[in-house]
Amino acid sequence: MPAFTMQPNAVDCDVHVAPASVQDLFPYLSDYWRQYVTEAGVRLTDMAHAYPPAVTGPLPHSFAELAERYLEPAQPQVAVLNCVTGFETHRNPYFSAAVASAVNDWLREEFLGHDDRLRASLAVSAVSPDDAVAEIQRVGEDPRFLQVLLPARSDLPWGHKNNHAMFAAARERSLHVGLHAWGRPGKAPTPSGFTTTYLEDYVGNQPIAQAQLLSFVAEGVFERVPDLRVMLIENGFAWLPPLLWRFDKDWKGVWREVPWVTEPPSEYVRRHFAMTTAPAHIPDDPAAVDQLLEMLGGAGMLAYASDHPHEHGAGIQPLLAQLSDADRDAVLRGNAAELYGLSAPQAA
Amino acid sequence: MTQIDTAPETQAPATRAVELIDCDVHAQATDAMLAEHMGPSSRRMLERFGRSTPKVTDWYPRARNAGMRVDAWPNKPGHIWGSDPEMLREQLLDEFDVDYAILEVLSGQDCYDHPDLAADRNRAVNEWQLHTWLDFDPRLRATIAVAHEYPELGVAEIERRAEDERFVAVLLPASAAEPLGSPKYWPLYEAATACGRPVVIHTGGYVDHRGAGYPSFYLEYHVANGLVMQSQLAGMVAGGLFEAVPGLRVVLTESGLAWAAALRWSLDAAWEVMGQDHPRLRRRPSEYIDEHVWFTTQPIEEPADPQHLVAAIRQARLEHRLLFATDYPHWDFDSPAQALPRAIGPELRHAVRCGNALDLYGLPRERAIVNGG
Repeated sequence: MPAFTMQPNAVDCDVHVAPASVQDLFPYLSDYWRQYVTEAGVRLTDMAHAYPPAVTGPLPHSFAELAERYLEPAQPQVAVLNCVTGFETHRNPYFSAAVASAVNDWLREEFLGHDDRLRASLAVSAVSPDDAVAEIQRVGEDPRFLQVLLPARSDLPWGHKNNHAMFAAARERSLHVGLHAWGRPGKAPTPSGFTTTYLEDYVGNQPIAQAQLLSFVAEGVFERVPDLRVMLIENGFAWLPPLLWRFDKDWKGVWREVPWVTEPPSEYVRRHFAMTTAPAHIPDDPAAVDQLLEMLGGAGMLAYASDHPHEHGAGIQPLLAQLSDADRDAVLRGNAAELYGLSAPQAA
Repeated sequence: MTQIDTAPETQAPATRAVELIDCDVHAQATDAMLAEHMGPSSRRMLERFGRSTPKVTDWYPRARNAGMRVDAWPNKPGHIWGSDPEMLREQLLDEFDVDYAILEVLSGQDCYDHPDLAADRNRAVNEWQLHTWLDFDPRLRATIAVAHEYPELGVAEIERRAEDERFVAVLLPASAAEPLGSPKYWPLYEAATACGRPVVIHTGGYVDHRGAGYPSFYLEYHVANGLVMQSQLAGMVAGGLFEAVPGLRVVLTESGLAWAAALRWSLDAAWEVMGQDHPRLRRRPSEYIDEHVWFTTQPIEEPADPQHLVAAIRQARLEHRLLFATDYPHWDFDSPAQALPRAIGPELRHAVRCGNALDLYGLPRERAIVNGG
């Protein structure tokens, strides 16, 4: 039961919704794509490899389901809806762009108009940066979209120069970037190759998110788009301190390769990145949690997420227990509100 | 005047106590050096076609000086970095009083070779290690190079070297055609374990597995070496390798150590939720890591507060699992004189510098004096 991870009056940075089938998107797809889907019998997999139905709860497919299963019991102050329906495996850039547009229209029609606590991530094609720019230009003015949603797995790391125009377009509309776990498997889904167990696939999101973080910094994204922020969603966070120790050390050795990285990488990371708290994957031992928080430089980069309806185990109670009232408030509300520019949230 | 012969009664001791073991040292043979130990058809293949595996500098051209210390190139015709035992003796063994140095020769590790060539190349690497290095200085130890993509050939090579105690481990690359936890490679782990050798898994190897795509820069590639190893370790645990080969000991080399705690927490938390979906795992994932996995230090993470490194070591329970390494002669060489921060107190320092490696490899705790030192 995921209920124990719910924190009333929180800014919840990861709540999942998805169309029940691709037919739910038909009102937002052209004749060509309706025919494409119908004739080929195209189905959405809803990232079935990522969220085995037997392991996680059912996704809300409508506002009524969301209200009953999530909004009523959780009572969030703000909920950020993430629809990863577009994180499919195919590489058809035209279909990818069409599905992203349809998802955004579906989110606006089915959810955002129904409850003023709801915000959403903006779906874009993950394989066609110019289509992503066009989609940002089409719907990015809607203030209920907070960020562009990208999958952690990618054919090229997201910091690659091919994507910089997308980030600039996002910032022109006050959008940030949300980088969510999972995504299209490439030739092999992890840096060690093919996975044969769900456990390694699941844990494998974390090194992949780390590689993405390296890319944003090394490619100078934050020099080119200075006020861009990146929310790492469902990728864990306890791995960050050791990564930065090594990243800073290596940068000292080979900075001449990337002279536009003018500060230690950890400085960029602390200014530009935040991480959601589900999964937490932290020790039970309070002293170890204190050490982890100290290594993280405090709780300023952490933003609460329920990840409804997904299940990750013990959750963030051991973390919340070690925080001061002010820090707990920041993790549950303030950090995300500051990042997304939400109006001043009320403490619980 | 009478010459009085008063030779001092005290003789210089013949041995000294072992205090420093370097668990990651690179020797590198030129093709011509290897060819001397290869059969005629392999030699012909090598001479006519060379190597088809891209080098790190092919992927990431900005790695300077082929990634080596600038002083590591011998001024000797026909030599390259890492090919000259005298240079290694001078720059590493004598300069830092290294008691044992464990050689890891990476040049046999190739996913592109025909099995005949792969087997012959690795046999040649081991012959070259034996004649050029092990017989040169008694402080040197070697790891067994194997044609890892053809495990049955690798097993034969392990068995061929098993009688020579100076081959202290079996060497695998950190990235291969399949994940290292794959049953494909289990015969290698079984053979190593059967002859009492740990398996050293060294950063490098096949680079095509990229969950996040290819990075643009050497900086990313180099940091990501640690990420590859995290993924490999998760796969080895999750796939049941340590249940299949209960005596297996693996040494994760040149991939960092401080990330181990977070990976343990992650695997354990996930196992709480989905342990029953992985019936080969009979215990918490971290228990397998405790029992089967060692880490070398270089490139040691350098937090601004060195106490954080000590905390990371303790969180990951690595006090008895951490092995000192310099990675000589690479550019990011960790000096034995400086790499371990003062925050690592005397007891842990001693364990890391020699005690843990003595236990793991069963090396003599006294070693012969060489070169007067």
